[in-house]
Amino acid sequence: MNISLSSMLLILLILTTPILISMTSLMKSINFPSYVTKSMKYSFFLSLIPLALFTYFNTEYMIISWHWMNMESMKLTVSFKLDLFSVLFLSVALYVTWSIMEFSSWYMHSDPELNRFIKYLLLFLITMIILTSANNLFQLFIGWEGVGIMSFLLISWWYGRTDANTAALQAMLYNRIGDVGLIMAMTWLCLNSNSWEMQQILSLKNPDTLPLLGILIAATGKSAQFGLHPWLPSAMEGPTPVSALLHSSTMVVAGIFLLIRFYPLTSNNNFILTLMLCLGALTTLFTAICALTQNDIKKIVAFSTSSQLGLMMVTLGINQPFLAFLHICNHAFFKAMLFMCSGSIIHSLNDEQDIRKMGNTMNLLPFTSSCLVIGSLALIGMPFLTGFYSKDAIIESMNSSYTNAWALLITLVATSMTAMYSMRIIYFVTMTKPRFPPLITINENFPNLINPIKRLALGSILAGFIIFHNLPPLNIQILTLPWYTKLSALAITILGLITALELNNFTTLLSNKKPLGFSSFSTLLGYFPTIVHRITPMKTLNMSFFTATNLLDLVWLEKSIPKFISTYTINASKIMSNQKGLIKIYFLSFLISLMIIPILTLV
Amino acid sequence: MGAHLARRYVGDASVEPDPLKMPSFPPEYGFPERKERVMVATQQEMNDARLTLEQRDYCAHYLIRLLKCKRDSFPNFLACKHEQHDWDYCEHLDYVKRMKEFERERRLLQRKKRRDEKAARVARGHGDGEVGPEVAL
Repeated sequence: MNISLSSMLLILLILTTPILISMTSLMKSINFPSYVTKSMKYSFFLSLIPLALFTYFNTEYMIISWHWMNMESMKLTVSFKLDLFSVLFLSVALYVTWSIMEFSSWYMHSDPELNRFIKYLLLFLITMIILTSANNLFQLFIGWEGVGIMSFLLISWWYGRTDANTAALQAMLYNRIGDVGLIMAMTWLCLNSNSWEMQQILSLKNPDTLPLLGILIAATGKSAQFGLHPWLPSAMEGPTPVSALLHSSTMVVAGIFLLIRFYPLTSNNNFILTLMLCLGALTTLFTAICALTQNDIKKIVAFSTSSQLGLMMVTLGINQPFLAFLHICNHAFFKAMLFMCSGSIIHSLNDEQDIRKMGNTMNLLPFTSSCLVIGSLALIGMPFLTGFYSKDAIIESMNSSYTNAWALLITLVATSMTAMYSMRIIYFVTMTKPRFPPLITINENFPNLINPIKRLALGSILAGFIIFHNLPPLNIQILTLPWYTKLSALAITILGLITALELNNFTTLLSNKKPLGFSSFSTLLGYFPTIVHRITPMKTLNMSFFTATNLLDLVWLEKSIPKFISTYTINASKIMSNQKGLIKIYFLSFLISLMIIPILTLV
Repeated sequence: MGAHLARRYVGDASVEPDPLKMPSFPPEYGFPERKERVMVATQQEMNDARLTLEQRDYCAHYLIRLLKCKRDSFPNFLACKHEQHDWDYCEHLDYVKRMKEFERERRLLQRKKRRDEKAARVARGHGDGEVGPEVAL
């Protein structure tokens, strides 16, 4: 067996060993968080072997490790696919998770259940690896549901808070709506292609739109696209390491990853491409608008994540799956770092998350603020940082594609808004005067905090450059552009930055006026939660109340038999008791029927 | 050049080519000595290099050279600048050729429209200095 396959299996073994140890009494005798962090580190370095070999040989591998069962003519196996997507994502996910595990040991050090928290994060990572390296839809579905379950458990980590429980349920329900799409696609493929293996599915010639629509719905749920997006900002109720790992770098990209896996089928279906483009454009603009007026630092970053996921969907809509994947990998670095910097600031300010009560952290937390600025610059696509290599390429491809002009235009507007809310975070958090109580001990001098942020900062600066230059040339790059198209991304970003700086400066000088109507659209998240979260449950509960009381209790148990009988007998007795005793006429009335019957028979 | 299809939304869309329905004029119309473009890389070479379908275009020979250079210079990912430039320049020239085809299509459509309008005017008897028989008689 060659070294790539051995490395992959060894990585899985290294990652599952702590889970097994946690079920024995050995866990009490070791420093579990430190042990798991080291396992992550070794797994990451081990994952560089298949990555290097893939870069050199450009050969995909498939490991079929266990044949589970045969369902009539369908074979269910545990099989892993080591292609560009799974190999590169594995390394990126392990690097980011290594940093987040180390950060968690600082952030959650006062939590009595820290070991269980680390175990949950590790379980999540294992299910994520199962999802990304799955060679058949059944295994992918196992990973898909696994990440959903771990997301639920981790969002509701502080289960004493009602908001946390509500957010976890919300995440579960919205993801479940998306899962219906995935199950629909799996059912169609089971019935029509009789296989769940990726090789056979991807070699289908022009399948129906239905399975692709199912996959798109699944991606809409998991990757928080418009319509099924409210769970992502609500998921910020969980601890910051959870937000950094699940809700920025890994779990939320699972939907986009699934669509990337299916790119040979979607690239030939114009309807699905248009749908992805329009949905992605709408998502990126809507969530960017919502992020503009948020005051919770984690919610701003969450909406930013949703906006970037919309951008990835747009990239898939213009038929550039490899660019979308590159953006997934680059985005993981700086978004995880933004969350970790937020966590550092929040903890230092005694769990204050409102940016209006922060300020001047560049003097008090210089390292964290610098990394926050680096992460924000990478996010807005500053030339030659990590985000630039994918984001700028996406916008250039968009500008030179000939699809829906409306979608392209609003994506440009959303790009400008990305710069605006990033500038807003930097202005309110790192600049101006401090707005928090003075009796706070601010200290960032912890190796468990500094080292992971440092690693991700290096990733945010260099990862894009390294990945871009090492990737094999997979599709034709868009190089021929007029100068105004080439510089459009940079121009609108700078415009967004300057606008935001000006407006934020105004907030310190002008008096408060009644906000415009547009402001309430943004503050109330487009009225989407207000409408959807109230109307549907109210209607459902009203209907169930009506069914239970009126239909079941009142009609079936009362009106149908007992009250019907009593009403009938009362009415009958009223009619009977109103008789006047004209017996002779009553007998003569029999003659009428005797006459009618022969007339009817003759007719 | 026709890189952006904004003119299909603004202005007369009937003289703007539809990229999905090109070419609508014969390729040698106006170019009697035009020869069909020939691919330099053979099918066997592309199969051996395991190029994907999208990569098998008129610049595939440069791509094969680039892939060979990358394999030979691994792990130095900063090498192969010349081969990269050659491939990128070939793709750029291919793009320019496609845009020139687009522009040619656009101008031919405009000419066709002008000719159709002139023929319609002549048929109605409003040609240049000409009078229709129903008007003259």
